[in-house]
Amino acid sequence: MSIRAESVEHRVMSAEQRFTNNKKQMNRYYKNIFIFIFVAPAFLVLLGVVFYPFIYNVVISFSNMNLRHIQDWELVGPRQYIKVFTEPTEPNFYVIFLKTVIWTGVNVFFHVVIGVFLALLLNQKIKGKGIYRTLLILPWAIPQYIVALTWRGMFNYEYGSINIIITKYLNLPAVEWLKSPTEAFMACILTNVWLGFPFMMVVALGALQSIPHELYEAANIDGASWYHKLKNITLPLIRPVMIPAITLGIVWTFNNLNIVWLVSNAGEPSDNTHILVSFVYKAAFNLYRYGYAAALSIVIFFILLIFSLSFMKRTKATEAAY
Amino acid sequence: MNQLWSIILLSLVLFFSCSRRVDLNRVVIWHQMRVDERLILEEQMKKYMQLHPDVKLEAIYKETEELRSGFIIAAIAGQGPDFVYGPSDQVGPFQVMNIIKPLDNIFSKSYLDSLNPKALTYYKGQLYQIADKLGNHLTLVYNKKLLQHPPQTDQEMIEIGKKLTLDKNGDGKTDQYGLVWNYTEPFFFIPFMTGFGGWVMDDDGKPTLDNNGVIDGLNFIKDLRDKYKIIPKEADYNVADALFKDEKAAMIINGDWSWAGYEKAGIDIGISPLPKITKTGLWCAPMVSPKGFSLNKNVPEEKIELVVNVLKYLLNSENQLQTAILLNTMPTMKNLYEDPLIKNNEILINSQRQIENGRPMPIVPELRAIWDAMRPSYQAVLGGDKTPEQAAKDMQGLALRKIAEMNE
Repeated sequence: MSIRAESVEHRVMSAEQRFTNNKKQMNRYYKNIFIFIFVAPAFLVLLGVVFYPFIYNVVISFSNMNLRHIQDWELVGPRQYIKVFTEPTEPNFYVIFLKTVIWTGVNVFFHVVIGVFLALLLNQKIKGKGIYRTLLILPWAIPQYIVALTWRGMFNYEYGSINIIITKYLNLPAVEWLKSPTEAFMACILTNVWLGFPFMMVVALGALQSIPHELYEAANIDGASWYHKLKNITLPLIRPVMIPAITLGIVWTFNNLNIVWLVSNAGEPSDNTHILVSFVYKAAFNLYRYGYAAALSIVIFFILLIFSLSFMKRTKATEAAY
Repeated sequence: MNQLWSIILLSLVLFFSCSRRVDLNRVVIWHQMRVDERLILEEQMKKYMQLHPDVKLEAIYKETEELRSGFIIAAIAGQGPDFVYGPSDQVGPFQVMNIIKPLDNIFSKSYLDSLNPKALTYYKGQLYQIADKLGNHLTLVYNKKLLQHPPQTDQEMIEIGKKLTLDKNGDGKTDQYGLVWNYTEPFFFIPFMTGFGGWVMDDDGKPTLDNNGVIDGLNFIKDLRDKYKIIPKEADYNVADALFKDEKAAMIINGDWSWAGYEKAGIDIGISPLPKITKTGLWCAPMVSPKGFSLNKNVPEEKIELVVNVLKYLLNSENQLQTAILLNTMPTMKNLYEDPLIKNNEILINSQRQIENGRPMPIVPELRAIWDAMRPSYQAVLGGDKTPEQAAKDMQGLALRKIAEMNE
């Protein structure tokens, strides 16, 4: 074959190749458009209900919006942020922040411990497993509002069932649950622990069921003890599921307004049972301090953002387990 | 690419066309009425719709706080209901935020004259609310089965309270209390404060909480609980309410909104004005406020005629009489005061006596800061963490600071 014929052939081939390449590109382009079309409605909704309010919130956190300037507000710089950190409110930002950390830490700790423990039990071969499982998920199925108010009733000094149990059956002195700051805070925590463990239990149960049986069989052959199996098989393998759940749990608990607000009746006694979100709520809607509340909520957002990112990074939550 | 842009454009149009258009034949009311009240309102609205088939009335219930914050947000965004219904103290903040319309020029003078002047809430010289109920006030409610003659003075109240606080089965625990009320909320503290000569603010809206009225009032409540032991150790609204309904309390301090519920629970109730404090010679005076309708700023001119018509219908004598009889609340149409059904109603007569002893609730927004400032110290006194003297001082300081924060 002459050189000329070869080069013609080459040109024909490359034209063909170009054509297929173009076609591929077009295909990719159309595919992208389709992806875009499918994502667009959700994205628009997100734009409306997440991004726009968020940016609006950032803007008013730099403004003087309050009762007297609700329609004619103007930007005033970081004044509200300075107030968040320096205003002598009772209790002040740092105390409430500390309480929020305790609130979140204690709650999530018990959610996970109780949740995983119950999941381990439910993962065994026991009779009536379905019934137990349904009963244990119940706290989750009842509306939070009802749960909070029912628990508030149960914490009553004279007529609440908790004090009746304490005094009648345990022969201990009655506790003034709702009247003293520490006890009231404990009452909120108890309620939320009860309310929160089913979620962790369900997640842990799902994770446990996905662990291959062969691993335990191999461990049995090796003569591993119950503790060693838990430490070396169960916990590492439920970790990738539990870490995101814990992160979520922390964010939810940190921002759980309902329980604190309803059990303690809006921070009672004496505004001593506030966590950051209930404090924001009070600032914004009781005293119409919108700028201040917006600044405080941005602070909360960054606390949670920084925490979540570092927690995920440290625990390598996004890495595969197998 | 054009295709892409047209899709984006279309989605945006769809997205923004979701917003509500003004419907000139639909009148919406947001309210915070309790169930009994709500059912009557709905029934009256239904009757109106039967008379005017082209008009649609809608009542939406929201809890008091949610109603306020929701209405503020909606009205500022140019939306919201046509009417917002609630106690008169919401007029202050709404007016300051410029989200309600003055009503002076919308209703004729002769119409307004037909109403009790107490039903008309003016703020800064203009009318902003027209009430259908007067009162919203606390009184002494007693169970006639347990008590025939309600106390007239604080001393009598203590005596009767002691007699009626009983340990029936001898287990060392009280089975029946003489008196109960929600004593975690400062609104319920006002009668004691006024009985001892105090009040929440002066004419300029400045708080006046550091006074003997507050100190003596706090001491009095502490004595009722710790010295005379005629009230429970701990009682919020629900607990007090349940105790009275279960006949485990002979007397309760509660508002006119609660009476119908007690009757429904089968309790033969009597109403009596809160007692006189012997030391000062003053009656315990609760806050009294009308409850009524305000008009959203965003209601367009062309709809005014309809909304006026609707409100006049809801406030007419026939409807007010029905509400008054069913709920034992004080109507606002003057001509009803001569109606035998109102004139001879024992509960309403005593309720009226209490209203006369009461003091109008201030409608300035500052009251909100005062409640917020009173609550922590009030609860701290009852929890034993503060002396009444310290509490009065702290309440005043906090109120001043909160008002400054609110108004900055």
